[in-house]
Amino acid sequence: MKKWIPIASGLLAGFVAATISFADFSTSTNNQAASGSTKSDAEKVYVPFGEKDDYYLFASGGHSGQMFIYGVPSMRHIRTVPVFSQDSATGYGFDEHSKKMMGGYTWGDLHHPAFSETKGDYDGKYMFATDVGNSRAAAMDLETFTVKDIINVPNTSGPHCAAFVTENTEYMFLPTRFAVPIGSDYKPLDEYSQQYRGVMSAVTFDQNQEKLNIAYQVALPPWSYDLSDAGKKSSADWAVMTTYNTEEATTNLEINASQADRDFIVLFNWKELEKMVAEGQYDEVTGQKMIFPEKHKGGIYLVPVAKSPHGVDVTPDGKHFIASGKLAPSMTVFSFDKAFEAVKNQDFSGERNGIPILKYESVMEREVNPENALGPLHTQFDDKGMAYTTMFISSEIVKWDPKTGETLDRIPVQYSPGHSVAAEGDTVSPDGKWLIALNKIAKDSYLSVGPSHPESMQLIDINGKMKVIQSSPVNPEPHYAQIIKADKIKTIEVYPKDENNKLATYKQEDAKIVRNGNEVHVYGIAMRSKFIFDAKAKRPDVIEVNQGDKVFIHLTNTDFDEDITHGFAINSYNLNMEVQPGQTNTLEFTADKAGTFPLYCTNFCSALHQEMTGYFLVKPKN
Amino acid sequence: MKAKKLSLLSSILIALAAVLVVLSLYFPWWQMIFFAPQYPEGLNIIVYPNKLEGEIDIVNGLNHYIGMENFSEENFPELAYLSYLVIGLAVITLLTAILRKKSVLYGLIGLFIIGGSLGAWDLSRALRKFGTNLSPTAPIKIDPFVPPLLGHNTVANFVTESILGYGSYFLIAAFILLLIPLWKDRTR
Repeated sequence: MKKWIPIASGLLAGFVAATISFADFSTSTNNQAASGSTKSDAEKVYVPFGEKDDYYLFASGGHSGQMFIYGVPSMRHIRTVPVFSQDSATGYGFDEHSKKMMGGYTWGDLHHPAFSETKGDYDGKYMFATDVGNSRAAAMDLETFTVKDIINVPNTSGPHCAAFVTENTEYMFLPTRFAVPIGSDYKPLDEYSQQYRGVMSAVTFDQNQEKLNIAYQVALPPWSYDLSDAGKKSSADWAVMTTYNTEEATTNLEINASQADRDFIVLFNWKELEKMVAEGQYDEVTGQKMIFPEKHKGGIYLVPVAKSPHGVDVTPDGKHFIASGKLAPSMTVFSFDKAFEAVKNQDFSGERNGIPILKYESVMEREVNPENALGPLHTQFDDKGMAYTTMFISSEIVKWDPKTGETLDRIPVQYSPGHSVAAEGDTVSPDGKWLIALNKIAKDSYLSVGPSHPESMQLIDINGKMKVIQSSPVNPEPHYAQIIKADKIKTIEVYPKDENNKLATYKQEDAKIVRNGNEVHVYGIAMRSKFIFDAKAKRPDVIEVNQGDKVFIHLTNTDFDEDITHGFAINSYNLNMEVQPGQTNTLEFTADKAGTFPLYCTNFCSALHQEMTGYFLVKPKN
Repeated sequence: MKAKKLSLLSSILIALAAVLVVLSLYFPWWQMIFFAPQYPEGLNIIVYPNKLEGEIDIVNGLNHYIGMENFSEENFPELAYLSYLVIGLAVITLLTAILRKKSVLYGLIGLFIIGGSLGAWDLSRALRKFGTNLSPTAPIKIDPFVPPLLGHNTVANFVTESILGYGSYFLIAAFILLLIPLWKDRTR
């Protein structure tokens, strides 16, 4: 045997082994250079167990009346917060406080969530929302993710383009989508132009009392107000909103409200309106301070805009506002400074309903019309001031430069995006990492659930070239959303003891049932794993009343322990509430049905949760 | 016969011991931490000479499953007077430092040993009482148990860990300070 054979074969074997062990046979398809990150798409959205998302997404629930909370970038649904609709999961709309807030309504159409702001930036304290269905506004506390107050807004019908809050949450403005007569009185539609009004309300929120209040209202012309935004920085005293049906059509709006070549943006100075109210320049109508622009001049102007506009968004620097004509395929960049100049010089082209009209040419900076991009709706911004506009009809997001009008990037989405939301994208300092397209349609994107498909939210990486990297089905309807940095939100784990709360019972031996005529007040305790309604009774977990009694159950959860929530339900009485750790909550009802009704803890609380029961006995009359 | 006085350094050490004894009042003496899958962060019972701290209510809430009596300050009458005893001990220590008598020091060391033993006995008595006096009607039946004064123990899904607090270390340090003069001023 030749000497070289074993040597050569040994070398060969070693080479083969080394190749198998160390060589990379995978074809290199990892081409992420454009995004400036070496992470794959999957890695970008993957939040490993033990870690948390970087952002909260608050998505409006549309006609579910609820707010959906997601984590970004994982797009995991974290919580549904009931706002305008009853929710048996949390007893919302059944307990005394939420029942009172809902004022007899059982649903709402939640549009346009908006965070409280300080200096034009989200401060993480409150979230506001409006109800197009029943003309209300709500404030949610972000320490507990529960609704603290709901206000009815008289004289309006459907605050669609709200809520939008001013730079330091001085006001949130609620303009109406449907014009109605003042007080929603009966008036023939033939008198629409004379008798109907598109009232806008200036709503304040007292953070100490956690109470919403209407400061004043403005009786705008009977048009439909669609979207709006508050100014920022140099334009902080101002706000803009779009309006359509300046034709004042009263039937078949699809055709009749789409006739005029131009509609308007309403530009108003809320500081000036505030001053007018302080000086008494208003009428007292239906208990509200109402400014009638034709009578009380000042502070409100009209800017002509391409027909049937939808979105209007203020740039992060507060210098410009961008409007999109739903039916005219272009975005228009307007200049606040030019508008202020025109207002100063009284450079008006006329008046409509007593409101001065600024000349389009003297306010407009540029029209932007990306090729074949159809149905521009809403614009969000990134950290470099670049604009991202959703194209409803051509189903895409277009990135462009408001300063030059140059189209920078386009990406298709599936399908029909209404709004989009960028991370802190409507503040003075957008984050520029993520954009989420809120799509109205998602046909064939997910497993079928029958004829009605889920809607979708698509996560787009906007670091560098836009790329859709995650898609998430969502309950109806992803209308608008807000993204806030997770570290801005400071939730509490348990409700602190409130010794001043007369309805609270913290000590077991204090649990008692007090009868006052035909009113029965139960001061009870829920704790792992029992109810105590009357500490001294033979059966402390039983409530016995007479038929017809008015019953108040004030229940305190004395488990001051993270995540130990109790529920309380009475069989067949259609009653259910939730008491979070340390919280006291009240159910109020009339015991109109005689009989024996078991009561139990609905919210799983511990190993002996199943045993956390009692009886509600209603003694029949006679 | 005149006994030789303790050296000045010894006297200072003994005075320092008195200071440590007083200091110990402001720190926990003993602590028990409960860990379970749903409480990875741990629940605490922290024992000061005059009070209990930590997640006592939560621990009590959980202990009811095995029928254990509630921990509360009322259950430990010692907490009402223990701090006075400690202050008394500090005063005696200070007196020892002033008197500088070896015989008094012996007495003081004896007092420390007796006090310490009594304390340890009292705590283990309490642990035995709570761990073995379980309600016969408890939802979860477990064998009676006695958690150790120091170290690990497992009860149901909980692992408990008993450790000394800073206060105890101060007392131990004080005790050592008392022993040094014995060695330093030993008769040659």
